[in-house]
Amino acid sequence: MSDRGLTGRQPGAVQNALAVLEAVAHAGAGVSAKEVGELVGLAPATTYRLLNLLVGEEYLVRMPDLRGFALGRKVAGLSGSAPEPRLSRAAREELGRLRGALRVGVHLVVFGPTSLHCADVDPELPLRDPSLLERHLHAGAAGRLLLADQPDWREVHPPSRLVRLTAETAVRPHQLQARLDETAERGWAAQAGEVHDDVACLATPIRGADGALVGAVLLTGPRQRPPLEHLPAARGCAAALEPLLA
Amino acid sequence: MEGLRRRRLGFLEVLAQSVAVLAPTAALVTVPALVVSAGGSLAVPALAAAALLVVLVAWCVRHAARRMAAVGGVYSYCARGLGPVPGVVCGWALVVAYGALAVSSCTGAALYAVALLGRGHHPAAVALGVVVVAAGVGLVTARGVQLSARLVLALEAVSLTLVLVLLGALALRGGTPAGAGPTGAVLVDAVPSPGGAALALLLAVTAFVGFESSSVLGVESRRPLLYVPRAVLWTPVVGGVVLLVGAAAQVVLLRDAPLDVLLSGAPLDGIVRAEAGGPLPALLDAAAAAAFVACTGGSVTALVRVVFSMGREGVLPRSLGVVRERTGTPVRALLVTLPVIALVPAAALLAGAAPRAVLSGAVTVAAFGSLLAYALVSASAPVLLHRIGELTPPALVGGAVASAACAALLVVAAVAGPWAGGQSLALVFAALMVPGLLRVAWLRRHHPERLARAGVYDEPTRRSVLRAGP
Repeated sequence: MSDRGLTGRQPGAVQNALAVLEAVAHAGAGVSAKEVGELVGLAPATTYRLLNLLVGEEYLVRMPDLRGFALGRKVAGLSGSAPEPRLSRAAREELGRLRGALRVGVHLVVFGPTSLHCADVDPELPLRDPSLLERHLHAGAAGRLLLADQPDWREVHPPSRLVRLTAETAVRPHQLQARLDETAERGWAAQAGEVHDDVACLATPIRGADGALVGAVLLTGPRQRPPLEHLPAARGCAAALEPLLA
Repeated sequence: MEGLRRRRLGFLEVLAQSVAVLAPTAALVTVPALVVSAGGSLAVPALAAAALLVVLVAWCVRHAARRMAAVGGVYSYCARGLGPVPGVVCGWALVVAYGALAVSSCTGAALYAVALLGRGHHPAAVALGVVVVAAGVGLVTARGVQLSARLVLALEAVSLTLVLVLLGALALRGGTPAGAGPTGAVLVDAVPSPGGAALALLLAVTAFVGFESSSVLGVESRRPLLYVPRAVLWTPVVGGVVLLVGAAAQVVLLRDAPLDVLLSGAPLDGIVRAEAGGPLPALLDAAAAAAFVACTGGSVTALVRVVFSMGREGVLPRSLGVVRERTGTPVRALLVTLPVIALVPAAALLAGAAPRAVLSGAVTVAAFGSLLAYALVSASAPVLLHRIGELTPPALVGGAVASAACAALLVVAAVAGPWAGGQSLALVFAALMVPGLLRVAWLRRHHPERLARAGVYDEPTRRSVLRAGP
């Protein structure tokens, strides 16, 4: 919404809001409104208003008892892109095994809180343009895994960024929503011709022990349909990579 | 609250829910004339006072809505503030209120649709219309919350535009009294008795019933802690302005109109039919029908979610908490409540009740339920704030004043209501509250653990809290 009324002429309010955010970060999860007020040195009513504002915008969350506060998921998005992991030899070998067995491109993607990074691209059958996948989360299969995992994909990838890459790309919010619903339901993502006209891909998630999405095994092939026949193999590889990445 | 379609609705769709149930158009067509007959020259001040009271209640509801998101809406806020027993009483009062509002508005929709089709006010035709409207609303509601929210938004926008155009056209024409005889000025300029003024205030409050209903979309809206409080506060503010402007225009028109038009129960219809030929009467019928359909949709949405929430908690039978997987609709709660909403007014109409009597009777019952719920939730807001250590003096004073005013109005209306049917409808409301109260007593004795679950809200999930480390 654009009617928030912040004009850039209220530096005091912005400073106070950031101070509140900082206080919650330092005090740790569960800090109460009163404690935040004391830490920041603001009047109670002002503190409560700022806290509620930050909770409304989801930079903070209220703990289940409604008394305490913790940093929200959105704060993670402030710190930038996906981490660049050093892959262990075991992980590379696992990918190499799958590459040897299949005649499609096999790639490893890792996820940050709101971004993805192509960590290991198949040297024989490379991705044509990894940056396309990293920027246009709505089009590629790996990006859709990330978006389907969000409570609200619009926060990570606003509808204004639904760029048309090919005639097939889902560029209307409801089209993307339908595809993400499908992805969330079956647990893997696929697309055909939405990034490049003649490339289809399939992504299976790698999840940590707590269910958090950490990466994906991505299969690509120059064809009209996603390589669904390799789904079991990709899943096996993702399961084998889980202890090596998460 | 697993199963509902989470985080789908934008701000406009959340706002539409509250606006539709408040139904400014439907209120504009029915309420000001009733307030004028009761309050005479104090009609417009009574509407302004009612708007102020409701905005104060909305301000109290907002405190809770900024802190928790729940499917039960005001019921859940109240249960978390005052505790499970007052909470469930509040929830049942809302169930009665939303149910009665749905009954009233689908009768209104049928009444105006039948008039639009030129079938007069034949009770059997209206009864058939009620069943058709309820079935249609049920089908749309079952298809998912997003579709129904958008439909309600479109209907409300169309009807509000139509009615404002109509009032503007009438005001430009200037009212010319049709025929001789006493004019409405006798009533419009009368100084009311204190009882009459209290009654006018109560009738004026009925125009605002339902402003809080967007709180039931806590789980389904995209930014619940932002959108819901905003919608809850702005709906009565904007609705109040529209209503005051519309009422002021009607007062001018009614002063010149024949007295029997004012006493007919639907004076605006009377004025339009007497003075304006051409398309204006049909325009009024279409606008009112659209508004009442939107109001039915909104009331059913709210009713179903409160019942669903109670089913999930075990306060009502658990089967009511079943969700249809494909659409995310609480379909069992819908299937249980919708037949009651359709068949009660249809049976009353076929038994010979006048359509307008059903409409106004049901809306009065809804007002009783809402006032009880408002009194409880206004009192609960300061308690909730105190419990979480965020109470401020204005919140305490506001909650106390709003709660006391709503309770006083409820008692005055129930005990001293001089208007026809007022006291008997208070008895109807009391009778409808009995099953809820019996259920609370039974739960307290046999299943206190289920009662303690009343008012579950959406807790932050693992995904919404920042993970430690990459």
